[in-house]
Amino acid sequence: MRGALRALRAAGAAAATGEPALETRPVAAEPPRLQRAEPIGAGPFSARLVDGEPAVGIAAFLDGIQESRVLAHWPGGVPIVLGTVAATVRRREGRALVSWRPEATRVERALFVPKAAIGDAAWALLADGYPVRDTLDTAKAGDTGPWHPMDLTASALTAVQRRRELLETACAELWCAEGDGPLFVDGGIASAGAAAHSPLAIGVVKSHRTLYVDGDTLPLVLALAAGERTTAFTVASPRRAPVASWYLRLRASDGRDPLWGLVRVEVALDGATPERCDLVSRWLLAERAPVSLPDARWGAMAYGIRLTEEYLRAITR
Amino acid sequence: MSIGRVVATERRPNTASEFHFWTALDAPVGIGTIVRVEGPPAGDGQAVSVYGVVVEGFSYTDLQTPLHDVIGADGDPANALRAPTDRTEIRLYTAHALRHIPDEPLQPVPMGIVHLATDADVAVALRMDGYLKEGQRTGIPIGVYRSGAMQSPVYLDADFLLGPEAAHLNISGVSGLATKTSAVEWLLSSIFSHFPEQKGSVAALCFNVKGPDLCFLDQPATKLDEADKALYEALGVPAEPFRDVEYFAPYTARGYSLATLRSNEALAHNVRPLTWGLGEVLQYAEVLLNKDDVDAKADALIDFIRERVVQQEFTDSILERAHKVLSFSDLEQWFRDVLRNMEQRNLESWRTHHVATIRKVRNRLTNISTRCRGLVTDDGTTHDLPWGAFRDRAVYVIDVAASEDDAQDLIFARVVSQLREQLERRTLGVDHVVVFVDELNKYAPSDGPDTYVRKMLLDIAERGRYLGLVLFAAQQFRSQVHRRVVGNCGTALFGRMDMDELATPGYATLAPATRTKLATLDKGQLMVRHPHFAQPVFVRFPRPAVMGGREGMERYPAEPEPTLEVSVTRTLRALDPSVTLEWVKQAIVAAPEDDVLRARNRTLQTRPEDVKAFFKAQFRQRVAAEPARSRPAPLPLAGQGGDDPYGF
Repeated sequence: MRGALRALRAAGAAAATGEPALETRPVAAEPPRLQRAEPIGAGPFSARLVDGEPAVGIAAFLDGIQESRVLAHWPGGVPIVLGTVAATVRRREGRALVSWRPEATRVERALFVPKAAIGDAAWALLADGYPVRDTLDTAKAGDTGPWHPMDLTASALTAVQRRRELLETACAELWCAEGDGPLFVDGGIASAGAAAHSPLAIGVVKSHRTLYVDGDTLPLVLALAAGERTTAFTVASPRRAPVASWYLRLRASDGRDPLWGLVRVEVALDGATPERCDLVSRWLLAERAPVSLPDARWGAMAYGIRLTEEYLRAITR
Repeated sequence: MSIGRVVATERRPNTASEFHFWTALDAPVGIGTIVRVEGPPAGDGQAVSVYGVVVEGFSYTDLQTPLHDVIGADGDPANALRAPTDRTEIRLYTAHALRHIPDEPLQPVPMGIVHLATDADVAVALRMDGYLKEGQRTGIPIGVYRSGAMQSPVYLDADFLLGPEAAHLNISGVSGLATKTSAVEWLLSSIFSHFPEQKGSVAALCFNVKGPDLCFLDQPATKLDEADKALYEALGVPAEPFRDVEYFAPYTARGYSLATLRSNEALAHNVRPLTWGLGEVLQYAEVLLNKDDVDAKADALIDFIRERVVQQEFTDSILERAHKVLSFSDLEQWFRDVLRNMEQRNLESWRTHHVATIRKVRNRLTNISTRCRGLVTDDGTTHDLPWGAFRDRAVYVIDVAASEDDAQDLIFARVVSQLREQLERRTLGVDHVVVFVDELNKYAPSDGPDTYVRKMLLDIAERGRYLGLVLFAAQQFRSQVHRRVVGNCGTALFGRMDMDELATPGYATLAPATRTKLATLDKGQLMVRHPHFAQPVFVRFPRPAVMGGREGMERYPAEPEPTLEVSVTRTLRALDPSVTLEWVKQAIVAAPEDDVLRARNRTLQTRPEDVKAFFKAQFRQRVAAEPARSRPAPLPLAGQGGDDPYGF
């Protein structure tokens, strides 16, 4: 952070004081939606008990973290955001998780700044002292401002998020190319580049703003009991690779939110047979212990992912 | 070998005296481990090292509450073993600093890598490098510090163990488990082997206050295993019993044998009686007389007797004769003479002393030989320690285990006083004496009346180091010993301790984990506090190379009390092997028992050339019986008188 502050002083910006990370601020969320998905194979969309006992099969865990802080405001209310992103693959060795390779742990810090809002001269001054990324590089052509400060902040947050996803993708692709064994990826794998087609990558999605159900299949998903899964279905979109997916209940909701303890699994479309879906589900069910308490997401969070997140927090502080 | 890394947080910061570090789960670190921290170089480029000893260890995971572990295992502990990932666990240790290099400026322990201490590190950490230099060595091995397979000798500084810089040693521990006596036996061997030449000569004097533990110091141990022998070799001490040992003990009440468990004839060659007469005891009368006995008036009379009567010719106008009072018997005669003549002249006081005072003092003084029968003799025969002729590296054991409390107190008071006086005059024969006393809480209790013995022990503790008089004291409960006595002991050893004792305030400076370790120490382990050591350290010492009490009693069982004839035979045979039981029986036939014992004691004391002749000469001449001669019959009276009724 000292390097970033020096660059800001050099550029003439006034430092902000004591602002919390952008990730902790309430964000206008996308509206939740239901989207119908086509089941894979013959037969209707249904719920079934995972065939077989939980079994240990995951060989590594991949996760990323991000933190965005407004360090200063440029005249005109332009936020200068310090973004820290990190991603890593932690390999299982016995019952412990260890680092896999140096290149499989990536940490980046940069100032996320809307170049068009501060001008080339200021940009050059900042870039001279610290890595800088333009948060308006995808802005519409001809958009020369002015911009609402909250829009600029949201753009910075999005830019940081995209940067994190890039690091995660790079780590996932490295493992899928040179790793050995199934990789538990926190989040979907559809936008994870080559990993989306690899038999090693398993994406586990914990949030359900988009439910791949319709009116008839929604009750079926919500009623899944612990250890049950749905039929696999295809998830596809123009900007993402198609993947096979299904819902799996890790823990009974027991009076909680009906989405509690529910995850959506993504694997490469090729080879996504019912037997493979059961096998992957058994691996995921085995990762329920130990519990990830006190993390609030413990109902759907594997302890291996919690450890990976803790590792990233430790090395980025 | 690097094993950890220093950590500090706002809630748990490091200071100059305490630091924290974490290690891998399998690191060979535990309570008492000595470590070295390598910090970044100081401003002047000098490497910074901090040595510490681990006093506490913590282990925790990222569990917020045990309930989470229950939830994760669905309430079944066996399920926890089936989890594919272990929770992250930290091993966090707290260490207390032993030494900083450089020592100025004294700063908090820096972040750095933590290493297990090597031999050289241990020497530096405990500041032993200051007294182990070639040509100036004053190190006395106390044991080895162990860390994994490594064993490093630990030395005490003789200047701080035996004076003059500091002195005295105190050892605490539960009876039977703490190995107090074994530790002292081992340490005496170590001292005898390593006492620096430039400091002169040293001897030991031990009071055996209970059991047979100290009764076989000249006999070899039979249970030394290879590990013990290796320790002896590593520490440079021969694994041998003491070569020069003498035992002293008073007689039993009957006087036939010595009151000691070392009474087997096979070991009698170096067992001697300890008996004192009036001259030896009167000076210490106050040991046996309490405040009620000795008021100012009685005290004045006792002083008068001591200075004007005992061991000199005394005359007075009221006495029938001159008295030379050399023994309690003589003193009794003197008292009788005084009191009888006072009664006859109807005197209430004599030489300012009231008759009641004289009677009281007579009663108390003449009672001493009764109260200390076996130790104090009426006839003045004495057998004493070889004052003035103490030998270098000799051990003198006074067995008081079978003596009454009064006799024990008297022995203790006189022996230690004599040691002190002779060391002050440099006439003892050696330059240093180590006095070993067990059950110190009995002789120097923290509460109770101020006794002569306690005052003497205080004096030794506070001033003895300048004379070469060193106290090695043991007790089960250190908290029950007078504070100034334990406080003046420069070195303290702790074996396994009682939990209640560890809860007393005196141990509050120790970390909880250290106290727990003290409560569970194995035999042969000690915690050592020494002036050079900034923190106490744990060491291991070998079994003593002398026979233990229990084994000694099995191999050399105590003899039952013999008959008078056998007792005399044994005593005289030590002086003249031609003495037989038959000869003794003939020599003492019809003699009163007291006379026989007196003759025996005098012969032993004198050690004449012609033992038999001297012994027989001690008895009073007996007139040989003659048959009565017949008396001549009375002659008849000459003539009968006439009418004279009286016959004239």
